[in-house]
Amino acid sequence: MGAVDLSQFHKTFFEESLEGLDAMEAALLALDSGSTDHELVHTIFRAAHSIKGGAATFGFADVAAFTHVAESLLEEVRSERRAVDTGLTDLLLRSVDCLRAMLDRTAKHQPAADATSEALRAELTELVEGKIAAAPAAAKATAAPVAGWDIRFVAMPHLLQTGNEPLRLFRELQQLGTLEVVRAFVSDAAPADFAALDPSQCYMGWELRLHGAVARGDLDAVFEWLDGDCELAIEPLAASPAEQAAPAAAPVSSAPSAVVPAAAPAREAAAAGGGGGEGGSIRVGIDKVDALIDMMGELVITQSMLNNIGENFDLSQLERLREGLAQLERNTRELQESVMRIRMLPIGSVFNRFPRLVRDLERKLGKQVRLELQGEQTELDKTVLEKIGDPLVHLVRNAIDHGLEMPAQRRAAGKPEAGTLTLDAHHEGGNIVVRISDDGAGLNHERILAKGIERGLVKPGHQLSDDEVAELIFQPGFSTAAQATDLSGRGVGMDVVRRNVRDLGGSVSVKSVAGKGSTFTIALPLTLAIIDGLVTEVGEERYIVPLISIVESLRLPADAVRKIAGGGEVFQFRGEYLPVIRLHRAFGCANAIAEVERGIVVVVEDEGQRVGLLVDELVGQQQAVIKSLEKHYERVQGVSGATIVSDGSVALIVDVGGVARLGRRSKAA
Amino acid sequence: MAGKRAAKRDGEQHDEVATVVLPADCRIGAQAVLQAELSEALRGGAIEFDGSQVERVDTAALQLLVLFRRALDARGGTLSWRSVSTALNDAASLLGLARILELPAVGPA
Repeated sequence: MGAVDLSQFHKTFFEESLEGLDAMEAALLALDSGSTDHELVHTIFRAAHSIKGGAATFGFADVAAFTHVAESLLEEVRSERRAVDTGLTDLLLRSVDCLRAMLDRTAKHQPAADATSEALRAELTELVEGKIAAAPAAAKATAAPVAGWDIRFVAMPHLLQTGNEPLRLFRELQQLGTLEVVRAFVSDAAPADFAALDPSQCYMGWELRLHGAVARGDLDAVFEWLDGDCELAIEPLAASPAEQAAPAAAPVSSAPSAVVPAAAPAREAAAAGGGGGEGGSIRVGIDKVDALIDMMGELVITQSMLNNIGENFDLSQLERLREGLAQLERNTRELQESVMRIRMLPIGSVFNRFPRLVRDLERKLGKQVRLELQGEQTELDKTVLEKIGDPLVHLVRNAIDHGLEMPAQRRAAGKPEAGTLTLDAHHEGGNIVVRISDDGAGLNHERILAKGIERGLVKPGHQLSDDEVAELIFQPGFSTAAQATDLSGRGVGMDVVRRNVRDLGGSVSVKSVAGKGSTFTIALPLTLAIIDGLVTEVGEERYIVPLISIVESLRLPADAVRKIAGGGEVFQFRGEYLPVIRLHRAFGCANAIAEVERGIVVVVEDEGQRVGLLVDELVGQQQAVIKSLEKHYERVQGVSGATIVSDGSVALIVDVGGVARLGRRSKAA
Repeated sequence: MAGKRAAKRDGEQHDEVATVVLPADCRIGAQAVLQAELSEALRGGAIEFDGSQVERVDTAALQLLVLFRRALDARGGTLSWRSVSTALNDAASLLGLARILELPAVGPA
């Protein structure tokens, strides 16, 4: 069947609609902060209009109805019949939230409308209609004397190929008023020879009459997408009762129920078709795809070159073979980089939600915040990007709720009333570093310490360094809020932030200066799929230590390691004592070197804590494609995944943080 | 769909009347096949459409029928309907083509 199944476009519709809503939100926030740029209003209107059009096309009636009212309101703003004020932006921002929820429910095949959306729709409707009552110049008032419209609609031959379906247009018209087809005709352009005509071309034209007090704007909206695809003439119908009463040649039943039976099976099919579709998709810039194709071209050239050498090989060509292999390696690496780049998206898409969040928090808390975003173009792996949102939101909330002071306090401290919150993303080594810094009061050491003692995390009388105190806030169950506000302190603490970041292979730390502010730093790996690793040998097994976490590898004399009370071992490294974790003991490897002086200690760092891992030998450096153990086997403490090394055997990738915890536990035991 | 020579026997299902069964999915993807079938049928003089199976129909399909009707008229042929599905009838009515196509009332004729 060559029929077009609309459900295949649902995903695109949802993606585009969500993007539209993001654009709408950004524009509303810009309007809210005093911008008078008329283009902003157009942006908002266009977004609403596209969502409405799409929703109507796909039969998402609730979404279409909701956006229709919002659009009417926006139309008044656009035509400068309604001024923008805080109340209006608030309402529209709430509508944006509501639409997001509606689209989400629609995507899950649930009814889109709920009590909230209905209430909001009523509120919007009231505003639109209230305005009409107050100002007779408004939309419906101009439409009132119009009894209807005469529409002459002649399709251009390519109309059907643009996806425009007159049946759908006519149905939309039917919803506006009573539609009467005065005359349907075949244009002169149609070839006389039936066998020769192209059925995908449209040769039809219609003279239509739409009865009812329909606003011109609504009518234009129906035909908006047909620009250039048809000849269109719309004339207001003179309000002549006689004409209206005249029975039409081919009156169309205005009962929409007549249309429903045809549409219903299509909708069910769509629901069935889109059922298991949580696969996720990605939008890729064409330049990235082009780069990939270029790379493929290079690879093919290299391959044919190697083929050539291979066909009649003798030793004199050894040098050329080596060259070819080196080229192959370079091609493969570049190809890999290009493919990885496809998964990379700018962090701006996550940053973009913060202006709204900050605005809402400002209102709620009575604080003034100046939000600065830097490095929005920094690209992150899509998976990382999706999961970093919530931790960032939490940190931003915390910074505004706990970090920044009230305007009066700030003035007293000699600071500007508006606090500055900076979000900054950039590359640092092999990591993406995201910093959230505020110029607020900084961490309250006394209170954190008191809380730590109260929670039994710190022994009373124990002296802690600033960093150690700061570290306390990441402990499970720790919440510093003197009183829990409804923003932070609802049980989701910094420990959850740390866990989420850690799950992404990243780390989070904090630096704070009393009275000057705090900076939270999140370091994330560029990608989750590939790491640079150091291959080590432990007994007969191989373990890969992520290069990123390695500080140094060294050989220790036997007397450098000291046993401490509680069964642990430590050694001195650059002035501090670090615990030694014998990897063979942690993972239970047979035939491994047990004497420290014969093995090698790899000093690794995780979230500011260093430990030494004892291995037999270093084998070499290798890029490792991470295969999930969880997916193929089960979760193993201390191991973040597996990979295949160059000789074809399987090596496990050491989860440095996990091993460090494992070591601490075995010490405690 | 053999286009046998048709003696004019309106409305009756007769050997001389060529019957064309419209497919359940009559939309744009099915047009090429339908067009070939209709071109063949055009050689006869009396054509009968069976539209009872039509579930999905679009403007392109209705246009094809309208153009067929026009070509048939030019040859002096006649068109009749054995039956028309609700979907076909609704779509034709909406586009104001029911009269041109001489659609009968809904249901089996």
